[in-house]
Amino acid sequence: MRSFSTTRVLLVALGAVVVASFLPLWVTGYILGLLTMAYYSGVFAMAWDLLFGFAGEVNFGPTFLIGTGAYTAGILDNLYQPPIWLCVAAGTLAAVAGGVVLALPALRVRGPYFGLTTLVAVLILQNFIVVDAHLTGGENGLTVPDVISISDATNYEIALWFMAVSGAILFSLARSPVGLILQASGQDAVQAGALGFNVTKHKLMAFVISAFFSGLAGALLVFYVGSASASSLVDITVGVQIIIAAVLGGRRTILGGALGAIFLVAMSEALRPIGDLSNFVVFAMALVVVLLFPSGFFGLLIRTREDG
Amino acid sequence: MFWQILIDGFAISSLYALGATGFALIFGVSGVLNLSHGALMVAAVVAAWAAGNDLHAGPYAGAVLGVGIGLAASLLTYFLIVRPLQQSRKIREEEKEIFILTATLLWGIMIQQLIAYLYTDNAKTVAPIVGGVISIAGVRTPANEIFTAIVCWLVIALLWLLVNRTRAGKAVLAASMNPLGVTLLGIELSQIYIAVWAIYGLLVGIAGVLLGMFLGVSSYSVGPLTASAFSIVVLGGLGSVSGALIAAYVVGYLETITAYLISPAYRTIPALLLLVAVMYVRPRGLLGRR
Amino acid sequence: MANAAHLEVSGLTKRFGGLVAVKDMALNVEAGKILGLIGPNGSGKSTVMKLIMGIERPDSGSVRINGVDVAGWPSHKIARMGAGIVFQHSRPLHRQTVLENIKLALLPDKLTRLFADPQTDERARAIAARVGLSGVLDRRPATLPFADLRKIEIAKAIARNPQVLLIDEPFAGLTSTETAAFSDLICELRDDGRAVLLVDHNVKSVARLVDRVLAMYVGERIAEGTADEVMRNETVRRVYLGGSIETAARPESSFRDRATPFLEVNDVSVQYGKAQALQNVSIHVHAGEFVSVVGLNGAGKTTLFNAISGILPYSGDIRRGGVSLRGNTAATIARNGIVQCAEGRNLFTDMTVRENLDLGGQHLTAADSADQIGWLFDLFPILRERQKQAAGTLSGGEQQMLTIARALMMKPKLLILDEPTLGLAPVILEQISKALERLRQSTSITVLLGEQNVTFALPHADRVYVLEHARVVWEGEPAKFAAGAGAGYL
Repeated sequence: MRSFSTTRVLLVALGAVVVASFLPLWVTGYILGLLTMAYYSGVFAMAWDLLFGFAGEVNFGPTFLIGTGAYTAGILDNLYQPPIWLCVAAGTLAAVAGGVVLALPALRVRGPYFGLTTLVAVLILQNFIVVDAHLTGGENGLTVPDVISISDATNYEIALWFMAVSGAILFSLARSPVGLILQASGQDAVQAGALGFNVTKHKLMAFVISAFFSGLAGALLVFYVGSASASSLVDITVGVQIIIAAVLGGRRTILGGALGAIFLVAMSEALRPIGDLSNFVVFAMALVVVLLFPSGFFGLLIRTREDG
Repeated sequence: MFWQILIDGFAISSLYALGATGFALIFGVSGVLNLSHGALMVAAVVAAWAAGNDLHAGPYAGAVLGVGIGLAASLLTYFLIVRPLQQSRKIREEEKEIFILTATLLWGIMIQQLIAYLYTDNAKTVAPIVGGVISIAGVRTPANEIFTAIVCWLVIALLWLLVNRTRAGKAVLAASMNPLGVTLLGIELSQIYIAVWAIYGLLVGIAGVLLGMFLGVSSYSVGPLTASAFSIVVLGGLGSVSGALIAAYVVGYLETITAYLISPAYRTIPALLLLVAVMYVRPRGLLGRR
Repeated sequence: MANAAHLEVSGLTKRFGGLVAVKDMALNVEAGKILGLIGPNGSGKSTVMKLIMGIERPDSGSVRINGVDVAGWPSHKIARMGAGIVFQHSRPLHRQTVLENIKLALLPDKLTRLFADPQTDERARAIAARVGLSGVLDRRPATLPFADLRKIEIAKAIARNPQVLLIDEPFAGLTSTETAAFSDLICELRDDGRAVLLVDHNVKSVARLVDRVLAMYVGERIAEGTADEVMRNETVRRVYLGGSIETAARPESSFRDRATPFLEVNDVSVQYGKAQALQNVSIHVHAGEFVSVVGLNGAGKTTLFNAISGILPYSGDIRRGGVSLRGNTAATIARNGIVQCAEGRNLFTDMTVRENLDLGGQHLTAADSADQIGWLFDLFPILRERQKQAAGTLSGGEQQMLTIARALMMKPKLLILDEPTLGLAPVILEQISKALERLRQSTSITVLLGEQNVTFALPHADRVYVLEHARVVWEGEPAKFAAGAGAGYL
């Protein structure tokens, strides 16, 4: 990936997206639905990779940001029925605010504490959802009166192009000078400081951007599915799946997250015949990848010589 | 009401203390935050339950099987997941901690899914070893609850004796302070690690089986159990076992008081808020050193 | 240089727990000058650098860069004030190319730099050409030789264009040609009008480069002046080199295992990341002999000892009594009689003195262990007094004595001591020296002692090896060393 220029990669990716946008002509609504979910998950994974791969911070609770965005948008719609775009905007804003609130203690601590802080955030959100069931629908979940569209094809295209644009922005950011500073902050904070970079400021920015895309995608997802629930959006297992998607696709590639998400969805579908055991198999596979192929798909495809 | 809270809180806290001690032990010596902790506990309970349900074994046999499964699962976690990652040459040293966190998290979820698949996600309780009801200060308490608290403390005391009074135990304690020092004194670290994970397995098995007899578990309990263990250990301060013990009681009583005075649905919230406050104000925890 | 560069430090103090790492430090570097900050390992010189750069916060004192007091500021602010540091150990970004590493140093601290500036690219290439990295711009650090990694560090410093430049041990691990090239670069930087603070452990290696020298010991300044003046200074000589050296060597022929020495190290090499930490080193030690390995920081003593103890992988052959040690775990080697007191001491700080000793006697019976402890309390009386105290609360010297005593609990055949005198006051050195002397007279223990404090090492040596830059450069009798080779040591 490194040896290809940013523009070249984006052009190739654009090509793939354009091809993908013609899929509704050939495949069933069911598959379009699967891919739509996969594309939103792809955005979750890419946003996560920005934080981990670059800023070097492992966020065990990406679903905190996603859930905040999704539920804020959904609750707003239920209460006041404003236009969808307003709900989505509000959800995104809430996620960003949540990201800042999470970042402040998290950035002050190192190593495992950071990961634990993010896990705690998810637990708190889960508790809040259960406790304020009158607002959030509790364990049953939340349904919203509006959806973006009832057409599979329309929803598919929206998700596809949203993922494309998000990916382009995140990828360009990662490859930009700011992205370089972010990588330095993550790899060697002492060196970055000695070179004159305010590490905390940059990591906070990474958080905000990750929160922005996570929350936005989460809010859009609510208006695609028409509902939100803790088990589908907030639970730790969902968060772990996002992390798996990003790691499978290759850490620090950003775009790999999208591929990883699509792969996971395809996997789950392929394993559908074995019923409830499919989840177990997916997680088992992910564990094998973590243990044996820590660099993920892209790490295997493009043997970067970075590790000498 | 006051006595009820006091007694129930004590039993729950003791159970938390046992689990947290195991969690703290593994972190202190092996350097691993085992996010499959809850899964190991639930596996032990389900084994004990299955012994009673499928094999029609008595409560004692079921308990022994449960503890045995806890031990086996712990050692499996070490040999299959933790050790290969610690020794892996494909991962940079700085990233190993995070990989181990992720891998144990995945492993825990896998176990959770497997349990749900094999035995459904319904709640299960294990037949208690000690039945009947005792009256304490006018409160009718299941004898099992008292039994739970006593066993927890017995085990913790035994562990304390082991670590502080035996040669082998002191070697383990020394390994948590300075692993290189222990090697230079001719003690094989690899043996210490295996011993520690074995002890952990026993602790987790006992805590699990007791929990199963006291309150029951389901595959959904995996997450909250891991969460409460590391919340307690973080509150008490990573690296401080005495801190974990104190924090266990703080959390246990907070939960019990909340459940009785406000509502059982809200029981985990005050402890979480306390954790958040501690992380903002004093990330080292109450007695932590690192 | 727009304003005159100036670095002024006064009253700088830093404590780490109970240890005073830097005490009341004061120094002054003007534009176009290089000040050498000299001191052995543990003297606090690296800490001084970190305090100036903001990587550690001082407990008290002031650091003025171009007149502004920056003490206690975060490092990125100090960097933007015009300070730059070249770290002792190269720390490039491993996932980035050489060019990207240099470009990074040219970037401003802005969140909004989304597009690459072509000027940055040009400037980075120019800097790379200046230090000699043009050929490897698109390579990653892992594929580069050691000297190139150091060049990247200098390139980053040049890119930052600091007025005050801190350089930590610039020549460690470099060949003489590479050292000369680096010296020239540093002189160029100085001639640009910068104020340069150069930290090293040896006056000789930087004498040609610096204008003035400041010598440190155990956190305090002990002398200042020109390089010559400092080298001739009484206190410095006493503390670094010591007074007259008496030797009492037993001839090699007096040891019975002539044919197969107890310990043989044959042609051993160790690679530490990129650097060659040990190169074709061969030494041997006879049973009952006291051998000193003399060398400065980074010479390779610790690496050699860690290879013998089985802690580090090595190529070559290490034999004990003719049998190869390869394949044995470190713990096995220790149990079989080769025990090391490592540089870090590795005490169990929260355990008492007594408990530490007991752990050393793990493999003995209770009775044996008690006897051994009794003998050790005799050797180090202060330990008996402090036996119930936690090891972490002891003074530096007491901790060192405990480390040695604990190792002796294992009844070793070969005791390896890695820089036991590090950071200790002369009074404590006396006590440890006496203990070593007793060991030599009353037991048949074999000792391998690694030291840069020649005064301490020589009286206890039957033979001396000198390690320099990962190689053995001299072997012979201590008396010869004291007479000739020692003179050029400082």
